[in-house]
Amino acid sequence: MAAPPQRIRRKAAGLVAAFALLPALSGCGGVSMADSGNSTFTTMGFMQSDALASDRMDAARKALAPDGLRIQVNEGAFDSQQFLSAVAAGDAPDAVVMDRTLVGGYAARGALMPLTDCLKRERIDTGGYVRTAIDEGSLDGTVYALPDSYDSRLLLTNDKVLKDNGTSAAEFTTGNWKKLEAATRTLQKRSGGKLTRIGFDPKIPEFFPMWAKANGADLISADGRTAELNDPKAVQALTYAVKLVDAQGGWGKLKALRDSFDMFGAKNEFVREQLGSFPMEDWYVNVLAGASPKIDLAPDVFRGRDGKPLNWSSGLGWAIPKNAKHPEAACEFIKTMTSTKTWVHAARAKAKETRASGSPYTGDVTGNLAADRIIEHEVWKPTGNKAFDKATRIVFDLSRKGFAVPSNPAGSEFKEAWQSAVNRVLSGEQTPQQALDQAQRKAQSALDLANEGRE
Amino acid sequence: MQSVLTPKPPRSSKSGRTARAQGPATGTPKAAGSARRREIWAAYGFISPWIVGFVVFTAGPMLASLVLSFTDYDAIGSTHNVGFANYQQLFEDPQVAKSLMNTLIFAVLRVPLAMAFALVLAMLLLKVGRTAGLFRTVFYLPVMTPPVAVGILFLLLFNGNVGLINHVLGFFGIEGPSWTTDSFWVKPGLVLTSLWSVGSTVVIYFAALRSVPKDLYEAAELDGAGRWTSFRHVTLPQISGTLFFTLIVNTIASLQTFTEAYTAFFGTATTQSYSSDAALFYVVYLFQQAFQYMHMGYASALAWLLFLVILVITIIQAKVSKRFVYYEGDQR
Amino acid sequence: MTQLTMRPDTKEGTAKRALRVVGVLLASVVFLYPFVWLISASLKPSTDVFDNALIPHVVQWSNYQELWNALPLFTWIGNSVLVTLAAAVTVTVSSAIVAFGFAYFRFPGRDALFALVIGTMMLPAAVTMVPQYMVWNWLHLASSQVPLWAPNLFGSAFYIFLLRQFFLGLPRELFEAARVDGAGYWTLFWRIAAPLCRPALIVTFIFEVQASWTDLVRPLIYLRDPQLYTVPRGLKAVLDQFGDGGEMRWEIVCAASVVVTVPMIIAFFVCQRHFTQGIATTGSKG
Repeated sequence: MAAPPQRIRRKAAGLVAAFALLPALSGCGGVSMADSGNSTFTTMGFMQSDALASDRMDAARKALAPDGLRIQVNEGAFDSQQFLSAVAAGDAPDAVVMDRTLVGGYAARGALMPLTDCLKRERIDTGGYVRTAIDEGSLDGTVYALPDSYDSRLLLTNDKVLKDNGTSAAEFTTGNWKKLEAATRTLQKRSGGKLTRIGFDPKIPEFFPMWAKANGADLISADGRTAELNDPKAVQALTYAVKLVDAQGGWGKLKALRDSFDMFGAKNEFVREQLGSFPMEDWYVNVLAGASPKIDLAPDVFRGRDGKPLNWSSGLGWAIPKNAKHPEAACEFIKTMTSTKTWVHAARAKAKETRASGSPYTGDVTGNLAADRIIEHEVWKPTGNKAFDKATRIVFDLSRKGFAVPSNPAGSEFKEAWQSAVNRVLSGEQTPQQALDQAQRKAQSALDLANEGRE
Repeated sequence: MQSVLTPKPPRSSKSGRTARAQGPATGTPKAAGSARRREIWAAYGFISPWIVGFVVFTAGPMLASLVLSFTDYDAIGSTHNVGFANYQQLFEDPQVAKSLMNTLIFAVLRVPLAMAFALVLAMLLLKVGRTAGLFRTVFYLPVMTPPVAVGILFLLLFNGNVGLINHVLGFFGIEGPSWTTDSFWVKPGLVLTSLWSVGSTVVIYFAALRSVPKDLYEAAELDGAGRWTSFRHVTLPQISGTLFFTLIVNTIASLQTFTEAYTAFFGTATTQSYSSDAALFYVVYLFQQAFQYMHMGYASALAWLLFLVILVITIIQAKVSKRFVYYEGDQR
Repeated sequence: MTQLTMRPDTKEGTAKRALRVVGVLLASVVFLYPFVWLISASLKPSTDVFDNALIPHVVQWSNYQELWNALPLFTWIGNSVLVTLAAAVTVTVSSAIVAFGFAYFRFPGRDALFALVIGTMMLPAAVTMVPQYMVWNWLHLASSQVPLWAPNLFGSAFYIFLLRQFFLGLPRELFEAARVDGAGYWTLFWRIAAPLCRPALIVTFIFEVQASWTDLVRPLIYLRDPQLYTVPRGLKAVLDQFGDGGEMRWEIVCAASVVVTVPMIIAFFVCQRHFTQGIATTGSKG
């Protein structure tokens, strides 16, 4: 190849130099990446939203300081797209906290490391955690995640709304579906074409597994290999839950009203009487206690059709991604974050902070058995607010007996399958049977594919 | 299409091709030959950045993605050849059909509406005299709004219960639908939202309308043509090239719609937990498969299908509009 | 709305003219009101966001303060500015060089190559999304801001096409005269063609500024560390955290949307003449 003329070459060299400078210009990306090379320990999915979270993170900072590691908490809820592409790009965080139902899926794809060595090295006894939480964070008996939280679901009712409508929370139960539907119709309120009060919010799509269980259906076999999404009982449960929504003007109206709730504020749906009753995660008791301690709250357990209390438990789990830069420190980090000592210390800090602000402290459930005992008996004290004390009591009792959707290698795809099925029914695109049939096919093919890759 | 592929020669007409063909006119034939060679090398030097970019970021990757579409590559685990399994799955996966349908519905609603709306606005602009510049600015402002913010505005303004849109409709006694949650109304809602960003098309039409020679209208008027007739027989043919350009551009953009829908309905698990398939547009699904599930092999197959769909639609549009597009001095 | 003809109006009645002005004004309200609504909502307390009042009953500036405290907004804006500048500068320079190559020279394969340029212009970006990610992943740059601007080093088909049109419009004699004076090809480009086409270069630059500033797709794919986020990516994170399914703090989301939008609006007012001219050009030249 003949060389280009002298002049062009010189100019071209200048141009190359100019372009080479540009990376430096916008290169904060590159620079900060290089910085975070060896002394920074990053976490993903963790949010320091209250003292319980930040106090534990402080403990973890102290634990990693001797190793010369500085913890960088990348705030924000777990985002599966961000996580997987980080792992793929070899830029994985050192520790990640995610919904435990996702763990099996990522484990099956090799995106997470087994904790087997970690548990052995740090002498962590998984028997010290709630059994269902450990099972959720495992795949085929191998543990991949330790619990970072333990959420129970209970029934929260605004007794004032019920009394105003000539009934009371004492007569209100989710065990009798016929009565529940009738109550839902009575308690709702409409003005003009709008729904102004939700009588009873079944909380689907999120709580669909609980409705299925209430009707005696699991969504997947216990070994996590066979999807059972179109089990007739599951279809029946979905049909019923959607009927509750339709009884109140349909999904559009219900969702729109729900969206306009000031859920975390002093003018929340209980204060404004925009809601009669709904099943909800236990953390919301905490929120209500802080935002509106004076409401006429009537807490109860959610019941299956057999009339027995039913608690769908879930929560987050800490795991170590494949290609984490500091896997050993990550193990130490996870141990610290989930240890009895850390939890109790953090719960005390949160209780102190909550009480100082004048709100009732409603307790915490962590998934660490010893810590939960100490918090229940030593940290938490009856507050004198009967409604919230009762709620706390229920949560403590429920936490010992929860059920979980069995862990499976399709993880997020399995969850996505039933979620979007419920959404398709809610938005009127499909009947429950059609939607769950489609979800079943999708989930089963994802499960088969995941299993194929592993065997 | 034609005006794109063969741009009009520059205004100083004779200088175009002929001038170039002559090359440097000085020196002996031998010297001229080496000068010519130097010129060619210089030319390749100038266009080399594009050639490199084309190979590295377009042609190479597309070939790679063709290969990958026959594998289960996921950037994490090991990769296997899966034959045509991914392509077979395209036909079995109900969400492919659903997302393709959503996208086509969106495009079919959006493109004509956007073009008609923009044309009406441009014609109004033409008639308001000196203030046209000001209003043109106003119409263009939403284009500057990042699509993420547009997606957020959609969620807020179109909220079925408390949103502004239904509030306004309420004044007229209309009970607005649940735009953001009712699967039937989600796409119309997104289409209406997208009309807000129609400004660049307005500006293009405005410029095209202004360049229609005035004497053509005068001639039409002399022939006794009414308003509609002169619109139909003077305006439309005169701006048909521009209309065609915006048709293609808007269609391709609509078929790739992503950001507003993704912002409003997808992302983290909580945001996503409410999304039905009503807003699952093709590129959203492609993005999910590629970057949320890391099914890169399947995503590659999805991308090739999209490529074919857009190619076919563009060719059909080009063929059909060849009959309608009028070019000045067009001899074909 | 009723006026469909293009006749220059000299004899038209004032009533009709008034009607048209009203129509344009109405349209303007539709186009502007969302901005007003957004700004207003961003200053309201959480419970009033949806009250649809034009003027907030209580003006709560602290929303912005809270936003600022909760999120690294300055970092995001800084990131966006750098990425946007890098993207716009690189694409303007590289596209101009390539466009000049196609406009001035006659060389074997030119027309075929230019047809290829046009072809890639029609190529949907979504099609190359996955393969491009693989390239960056292979280069170990898939977790950085580099993929947000570096492809621009190689020119962009649309701008190459646009700029070539402008270069073709320059009188050939200018270049011939310079050649006779012994100027090299680079000089022809850098000293003659580029300065004469400055308006077109500015159009290219601000188009890319807008495209790059508002892009969400690439930041979604390539940015994971919140310290590297550009503003739109940050805004999506704000929505996920404070919006639907999050804390339902819509006033914070609105405030963030205002912060993201305002720089573009200002940029637009500063160079609006170039914007509108540039767009009009794409329409007529294309």
